[in-house]
Amino acid sequence: MKVYHQTGFRDKWNIESFRNGVGNGLIFSPINIDADKLFAMDVKLKQSGFLDPQLYLLNEAKGTIDTYPYFPGNLKPDFTTPDLDNSHIQLAQLCVDYQMKNDFHYLIIPSRYYADNPTTYFAQSTDYFVIPFCDYVKENKIQKKVLLSVIVKTIMLSDEVKRNEVLNWITGHQNIDGVYLIFENNFASKQIKDFDYLLNTLKFIKVLKDNQMEVHLGYTNTEALLYSIAMPDSVTVGSYENLRSFGIKRFQDLEKSQMRPPNARLYSAQLLQWIDYEYIQAMKSLMPDYANYFDESEFRPLMFTPEFKWHFAKPEPYKHYFYVFDKQIKKLSPTQEGRIDELKGSIKNALSLFKKIENNILLDDDSDGSHLPTWFNVINAFQKELTK
Amino acid sequence: MHLAEHPKVGTVVIKKGAIKSFTSLERIKREVELLSELESDFYPKQHHFNIDVKTKEFEIVEDYIEGKVLREVMGQFKTPKEIFTLFNFLVKGLSVIWDKNIVHRDLKPENIIIRPNGMPCIIDLGIARFLDLESLTKTISPMGPCTPIYAAPEQLANNKNLIDPRTDFFDLGIIALELYLGVHPYDPAYVGNNFSIVENIMQNKYIVESGTVKRDNTIVEFANKTLQIQPYDRYRNYQMLTAFIAKQI
Repeated sequence: MKVYHQTGFRDKWNIESFRNGVGNGLIFSPINIDADKLFAMDVKLKQSGFLDPQLYLLNEAKGTIDTYPYFPGNLKPDFTTPDLDNSHIQLAQLCVDYQMKNDFHYLIIPSRYYADNPTTYFAQSTDYFVIPFCDYVKENKIQKKVLLSVIVKTIMLSDEVKRNEVLNWITGHQNIDGVYLIFENNFASKQIKDFDYLLNTLKFIKVLKDNQMEVHLGYTNTEALLYSIAMPDSVTVGSYENLRSFGIKRFQDLEKSQMRPPNARLYSAQLLQWIDYEYIQAMKSLMPDYANYFDESEFRPLMFTPEFKWHFAKPEPYKHYFYVFDKQIKKLSPTQEGRIDELKGSIKNALSLFKKIENNILLDDDSDGSHLPTWFNVINAFQKELTK
Repeated sequence: MHLAEHPKVGTVVIKKGAIKSFTSLERIKREVELLSELESDFYPKQHHFNIDVKTKEFEIVEDYIEGKVLREVMGQFKTPKEIFTLFNFLVKGLSVIWDKNIVHRDLKPENIIIRPNGMPCIIDLGIARFLDLESLTKTISPMGPCTPIYAAPEQLANNKNLIDPRTDFFDLGIIALELYLGVHPYDPAYVGNNFSIVENIMQNKYIVESGTVKRDNTIVEFANKTLQIQPYDRYRNYQMLTAFIAKQI
């Protein structure tokens, strides 16, 4: 299973980590990098990754997305859905051409975002994106693999009719090799603790794998470990939370809105959780062996020095996460059965470590292990599904 | 429909019929256009097509295919190996239209002619859904065009958005089981209920063994994969279908 860097703001941290051998490639983000700058980038960085075209909102010129030739506003000012009737072929050609010029590993078919998908969503997506893309790829005898990007809304997991609709739609495209799946995350907690959601996600991935499709999961957080038991082809690591949890706000120009800076956190592969630095400070003073709860990396010594100022703008906690999580994923068993056993063992181990910590320090539910019993139960339920 | 001697191509079939509506005319025209484009021994060659606007009748002249319809020679395809060998050719033939984004939508033993050399020829593309063209089936129709007892659930529910090659895979699943068992697998007399065949199709109730015919694992595996209610639970494409069939022969 591969690990891609979901890049965004401060993508240089991802690029530096990738250059140091962390992860298998980069997913590039048009709202964060100018099209010409990306074009000029070392092709080796691009050949192992892909571009997320980010055509989620047709008319939103967030960041640098309007520097991309396929940005609809460059075809026509105030581009709206009806304009797709006349422009979808041109848009597809420009989007494929740009991706080909950059020599990315995969070609990505974009998808649109709606707060509530219209009833014609899938038919429209087929007509406006899938068919013109696949036709252009075929006409030009392009050999690269094609992935369809799909935003999976919570209702598509919880509602059987919607789930069947999206799965039949995805698997009905004969000319694609796989999917770049993005699960929309509307949860208030930092970890997903919803049993049904997680189990349905695993089942969703499994259906696509049973259809022999490549499944690449975007915007994943630590639950990527859980998703690994459905045997996807890749998961992602991202620095800030908006790169580990998909929300459309990231693509909207919300200049006037107040952004709250995140608290610095450190990921622990043993605890299967991100721990707020304030708790790390508490652990430091109350638990002599506190450092053992965190994994070794070239960044750890610096972070645990008294002079280190924890701040979300510091690269070390994020680079540490990229390194540790990539290693954790790479260590997973190649077999489904092996992964299930390993993960169950890791969860039990993490829960016992949390018990030790909470003998000294009380953690809030965004830093504790309260997601882990759900994970464990989800794994058991999924295991039962596999034997059906 | 009757046979005639064509001065250049020999025996031909002349199909005549009434044009009931614009929809049926369009459908017939599509069949003819497709068949005239196909250069494949798996389909009859089309020679002539005419519409008489005054009498509202159409006339098609196509090659006569020597042989017997599969319904008449089902006994020749009883063992799993015989069935999968036939299906290997059938899928090869069908892949010609699937590659053109066309779904047959009416596969049944009556629409497959077995030539004297054992090769199948697929006929009656009249209700094929041409996915690239505007759908001809009225959305309000309770059921899409099909032969109901050989139709996939999405056809019976007239769920047009779901019609794709996987719909034909379902039909092939029924034919495979029928060849193996000698009876229709959804027939309530064998399923043991009081529903109709169509109701059993919609409820996914079918048999895999009957009387002296015991279950065969490869046939069961094929049936269980092709006869799923949801298309996403079937083979995704004909390459996957072909790969399975090739392993059995």
